[in-house]
Amino acid sequence: MTQVLAIMVLPLFLLAGIVAAAVLDRAVPPLVAGRSLKASFVGPITVASSRAMGQTGATEHPDTISWILAPILYFTLAAIGLSVVPFAPGVVAADLDAGIVLWGACESLTVVAVFLHGWSANSPLPLIGAYRYVAIGLPAMLLSMFVLIAAALPAQSLAVTDIVEAQRSVWNIVRQPAGFVLFLMLGLSLSLRGPFDFADPYDLAGGTTAEISGAARLTWWLARLAMLVSVSAMTATVFLGGYLGPVLPGFVWLVVKTGLVLVVLVGAGEVFARLPPDRMMNLIWLALLPLSFLMLVAVGVELLLWG
Amino acid sequence: MAIAILRRLAGAAPAPAFPAIGAGMRAAADDLFLDGRLIRADSIRHARILLVAGPVREADQDDIRRLHDQMLHPRATLWWKSNPVPDFAEPATCDEDDPVAAIEAIHRALIEGARDSEPDILPNEPPNPWRGKGDYGQGGEGMMGGTPYGRPMAMTDDDLRDGLALDAYTAPFGPFLPMLPPGLKLSVTLQGDVIQTAKLLRPPSAQAEAYDGTVTALRALGRFLPILGLEAHAVRCLEAARSLSAGKPIELAKIRQFLFWSGALAAIPSGIGMVEDTDVRMRVERWLAALDESPTGGLDGSATMSPLKPARLVDLLRGREWSEAILIVNSFDTDTLISLAPVEAEDAETEGRAREDGIRMDHEGHGTHAHGATGT
Repeated sequence: MTQVLAIMVLPLFLLAGIVAAAVLDRAVPPLVAGRSLKASFVGPITVASSRAMGQTGATEHPDTISWILAPILYFTLAAIGLSVVPFAPGVVAADLDAGIVLWGACESLTVVAVFLHGWSANSPLPLIGAYRYVAIGLPAMLLSMFVLIAAALPAQSLAVTDIVEAQRSVWNIVRQPAGFVLFLMLGLSLSLRGPFDFADPYDLAGGTTAEISGAARLTWWLARLAMLVSVSAMTATVFLGGYLGPVLPGFVWLVVKTGLVLVVLVGAGEVFARLPPDRMMNLIWLALLPLSFLMLVAVGVELLLWG
Repeated sequence: MAIAILRRLAGAAPAPAFPAIGAGMRAAADDLFLDGRLIRADSIRHARILLVAGPVREADQDDIRRLHDQMLHPRATLWWKSNPVPDFAEPATCDEDDPVAAIEAIHRALIEGARDSEPDILPNEPPNPWRGKGDYGQGGEGMMGGTPYGRPMAMTDDDLRDGLALDAYTAPFGPFLPMLPPGLKLSVTLQGDVIQTAKLLRPPSAQAEAYDGTVTALRALGRFLPILGLEAHAVRCLEAARSLSAGKPIELAKIRQFLFWSGALAAIPSGIGMVEDTDVRMRVERWLAALDESPTGGLDGSATMSPLKPARLVDLLRGREWSEAILIVNSFDTDTLISLAPVEAEDAETEGRAREDGIRMDHEGHGTHAHGATGT
């Protein structure tokens, strides 16, 4: 019964999150640019309508099926990833013993979805965006695995519900603050944002989106926002205690925490500079990956000695 | 009913326009898109309106036509302080300083169906006939190589960087790509995203932007920062430049502070684009230093604007990744870039010869509107 409830809540959660993310995306850049704040619900809707009306775009000999499927795959991965997140005690769409593994699979398949999107356009700049994303996305996902295992260690379980329950004494963000930051970076990478937007950046004229318009661009945009919501909910669950919190119902706590992470991610996407891909690769492989591994060791030692 | 609502909503959205910028109009175009009623399209595919700003060089006319045909329906062109290129039927022109109202009117008319979408100008066909000579109609020998339709098939080639031989790929980029200075057109051979060779096809259009210390630095930052993903910071810089030119006071300290925390300087690799012992990062540092100074003083104009004959842009780009190359190109002002990209007979020849041999992956040479928006 609770699972049915969770399955019904999931699309609503995703939809509300997408709307919130779209509004934030309109509100935060002017704020960073020092302009007056104009948060509106109408703005994103008019832009979406404008996109829905145009042609979708065509190149010479594109891989049409992949081109259509890539945004759908991306959106689906966001939804499946969200399905392991418990909305309230016992209310989870996919209560798996290895929920973290399912999430990890969604992460890695995102690389495939983004690559397909750039590849299938049969055009130089989208293709460069696609290759770049694979180069950066791969080590970024690897990193997230270490971070997630470190978060799962105290729970001694790969089930997301157990990971939440294990945070009753102390949230994972306290146990491994650096892991939280690394996971936020992964969130930027999964949702192609700011410092980790190597697939659709300005220097590639929109990268994998350079050849698309109309409804195709609209779906890609929605899929990116869906992934942002999904990764925010996952961050809130794994590091901020998910539905845990005093007074208010668990679901409200999850929504509040997810919203908070959403704001942080959208803000970080606007505020921090993006390294050229080669430099970013060095940073991830030589600094961040060893760091995440050390943190995993640290959590293990802590649990062995005091756990 | 639903369509009517959709149209009303779409009509209220900011008008997505792609600027094709000619001589002397770069700063005006930058200022124009600070207006919230417009969206600056990164790719022509994202635009509904092609905004041709300023005079178009004769050599660029064909690119304008191709750009137009790559735009998706419904579409329109507005010639802003520009002379329409032949073949455009009933061109809409605007000679006012502020064309936003004209763009908005055209956009709304397009959405509401009051204005017809512009038809193609060029024929939608390959630039060269099929010239396959292999057993299966492919271009070259065996299963690979050759130049069917005047476009080379993928073939592995020696690599400059790490010896990992990938498919070399040659394509023209410019003259209206948003991340390159207006008018600059290069023929680039890439392996992955590493530039193996670059040839100059056309230099940037002259912009005649008077040197003005802080304003010049702010404008340069406004064009440079989006490459680092700092679009909002870029808007802040461009707005400050506009205010400063209009004589309004601005808070430069805040801009510097924001840029410091963004990590923009640390993101730029050191040692790239070295000309006269300054690399890209040092040139950006110079702009930042100019923000410290008085609005009229600031960085030494003569030092940054001196002609730099010995260095050539194409040599600076060789062996660089795409995004590093874009950083290098945008670290120079237009005048310096023109001096780094000497117009030599050889460049025109190169373009001509390339066409004859059909050695280029020819987005540029073929009439189709169904391929390679990004190439133009």
